[in-house]
Amino acid sequence: MNSEPIVEIKGVSKTFTDSHNNVHALTNVDLEFWPSTFNVIIGPSGCGKSTLLYLVAGFETPTTGQVILNGEEVKEPGPDRGFVFQDYALFPWRTVLGNITFGLTNNGWKRKEAIERAREYIRLMNLEGFENAFPHTLSGGMKQRVGIARALAYDPLVLLMDEPFGALDAQTRKYMQQELVRIWQETKKTVLFITHSVIEAVYLADRIVVMTARPGQVKGIVDVDLPRPRNYTGDDYLEVREKVLSLLEEEVAKGIKDSLASDNTLFTD
Amino acid sequence: MTKDKIKQDLINLFPFVVVGILWEVIVQLGLSGIKTLPAPSDIFRSAWSLIWGSNVLFHHLLSSLYRITVGYLLAVTLGIAVGVLLSLNKTLHMIFSPVISLLISVPTLAWVPVLLVIMGLGDRTVIMTIFLGGFFAIAYNTMSGIEMVNQNQIHAAEIVGVKGLRLVFSVLIPGSLVSIIAGLRLGIGYSWRALVGGEMLAAMIQWGVGKMIYQARFFNDTAVMFVGLILIGISSTIIDQLLLRRLERWTIEKWGVVAEN
Amino acid sequence: MKQFQKWLLPVLFIVLLLGAWEVLARTHIINGALFPQPSKIAAEIQSVHTRELPERSLLLKHIEATTYRLVIASSIGILAGIVAGLVMGISPAIYRFFNPLMTALMPIPGIALAPLFIVWIGFGNPTIISLGGLAAFFPIAYNVTAGVRSVDPQLVRAATISGSTRLGIAFQVYLPWAMGYLLTGVKLGLARCWRTIIAVEFIAATNYGLGYMIWDAASYLRSGIVFGGIAILIVFYFVLEKGVLNLLEAQTIRRWGMVK
Repeated sequence: MNSEPIVEIKGVSKTFTDSHNNVHALTNVDLEFWPSTFNVIIGPSGCGKSTLLYLVAGFETPTTGQVILNGEEVKEPGPDRGFVFQDYALFPWRTVLGNITFGLTNNGWKRKEAIERAREYIRLMNLEGFENAFPHTLSGGMKQRVGIARALAYDPLVLLMDEPFGALDAQTRKYMQQELVRIWQETKKTVLFITHSVIEAVYLADRIVVMTARPGQVKGIVDVDLPRPRNYTGDDYLEVREKVLSLLEEEVAKGIKDSLASDNTLFTD
Repeated sequence: MTKDKIKQDLINLFPFVVVGILWEVIVQLGLSGIKTLPAPSDIFRSAWSLIWGSNVLFHHLLSSLYRITVGYLLAVTLGIAVGVLLSLNKTLHMIFSPVISLLISVPTLAWVPVLLVIMGLGDRTVIMTIFLGGFFAIAYNTMSGIEMVNQNQIHAAEIVGVKGLRLVFSVLIPGSLVSIIAGLRLGIGYSWRALVGGEMLAAMIQWGVGKMIYQARFFNDTAVMFVGLILIGISSTIIDQLLLRRLERWTIEKWGVVAEN
Repeated sequence: MKQFQKWLLPVLFIVLLLGAWEVLARTHIINGALFPQPSKIAAEIQSVHTRELPERSLLLKHIEATTYRLVIASSIGILAGIVAGLVMGISPAIYRFFNPLMTALMPIPGIALAPLFIVWIGFGNPTIISLGGLAAFFPIAYNVTAGVRSVDPQLVRAATISGSTRLGIAFQVYLPWAMGYLLTGVKLGLARCWRTIIAVEFIAATNYGLGYMIWDAASYLRSGIVFGGIAILIVFYFVLEKGVLNLLEAQTIRRWGMVK
């Protein structure tokens, strides 16, 4: 890969403590992510992959180790990162336009310029005509378009996506995956994308990081060197898929013992 | 479990101790700027002499408790009865439920001048005010509670031949107890306010916690006022916790009908 | 149309009741001095209206005085309640300290504090408005606190990652999220504020206000004005609730799809 990594995770462990016990979410994770690459992090449920993303976002701080973003240690959340949530987390009291301008006006943009910028992203996300709609009137897929537009509008260095299509139906999900690839190719952002669908991972990623069951560690990394646009069927596609699956299989078996057995989406969707 | 509870009680008590000490210090150093602000120690002394010296505190408290007992019990009995009646008869309901929701908005104490004109300035006016304060809330909540009782439960009772008053007591009231108890709680709040205000406003009575506070004004005796306020706070908490909370635990929580928030 | 049907029967009933009352009082079957007939109530209220005409209407003056107190007191109570609710809702430490104090103070009726406030700040508006404000404050602070504490943490995260300041998050995330709770609090607070103001006007007002008018009339046994005054209170509050509060609700949480 080229040049310097934009995100570095150095010896990171994270332990959650409540009044009764400790939960080791991550132990000793070392990872590097390069600019403008599409990275997918995959692993069984409860493997701490979301925690990893929260550490990069600055929502949580590591128990040990460091997260470095663009040469500086991450201490708190900030607009050099964009975040897309699984449950959208749109502000119900703001219109589509208001949600997208949120990060702009709060970073010193003039209202007029913020609206202009937001309109660009509304076009990019195919949301024209819904500028003044309130989120509760939109479908799940539409909501997540707004979520992505909101995260991209203020031009962050890194786009963090926490199972962004997990709540969508299969049809919408496929469509959103295609859209995301198109947008990524247009904006050339560095993407860190969490999923537990292998199909999704292989369709989207330049590079797939496979995590172990709890406590989360890096099990292996699979580079995906397939041409885009990809389909979900070719031989080379299936080959990569098998590779990821074989890495995952024993972890899932462990994960099942860990009580999170109902996670059948892993292989099927 | 009990250890946690004691710890929680101590945590809850802590702010009162802090405020009390701060208050005492501020008054003793003369920093309050209000000459008539008593220090906690003054209030304590005042309470002591009201209890042991002149011996009047219990008399005031007992008078108030007598009035609220009579007034509130009346409100509970009639409130539930009227609530049941209005929920059972469609026509009565259509006529009276808007009337009740209008009358509910009348400040309870605004009934005092009306009662004063009709029945004078004595005990009866205060008790009647307490009654009116509790009555509307209880009647309204009983009515809306019964309307939401599961129809199948009613059918289940009717099919085994339960009807009339037995249906009311064995199905309708237990089934709407969540709402009724909410009404009882609201009602005791209103009744309690009515008691204090009523005692202040009714000129012909001599005893009562409200009266004690009101009379202290003529002597600018703010310490006595604070004693009265604290007494009101404690009594209403005790009534709520000891009676209503317990009622709740014995019935709806035991039946698992509601998760108290 | 449905509204019309819903109100038809009760209105008819009230009209019938008033008619019967009129007849019974005129024929001296019930005591007209204690229960003055509707026409007499109307006449007495009319007399309050005309007493100081043509310069001004005394009745309007009373209504104005009470409205003024209600507006000032509830505004203070709402603003203070929002600020206190935000602070208590956002900071767990402040919450732990002040919540027990608030729980203890909340049930104390406003009128019980009136003698104390009269001694401290005197008769009239100072005492009436302070107690009205205090009455509004508690339920609003309590509800906003509960609302803020129930916030969806993802929304807070979404705001922090896009670089919002703490103050920005307080007003752009916590407050709108707690809007439903705020409205509930305002409803309760306004009702308590209204009750308290009328009651305190009984003992602390010196010349104007609906409470003063009613209490003054009662001490001269002018039952017509007392009954008429109560009727005015009912209409006043009805307008307040249906007009102001429901409009506010429709403009905010209903529009945002935050109520089912």
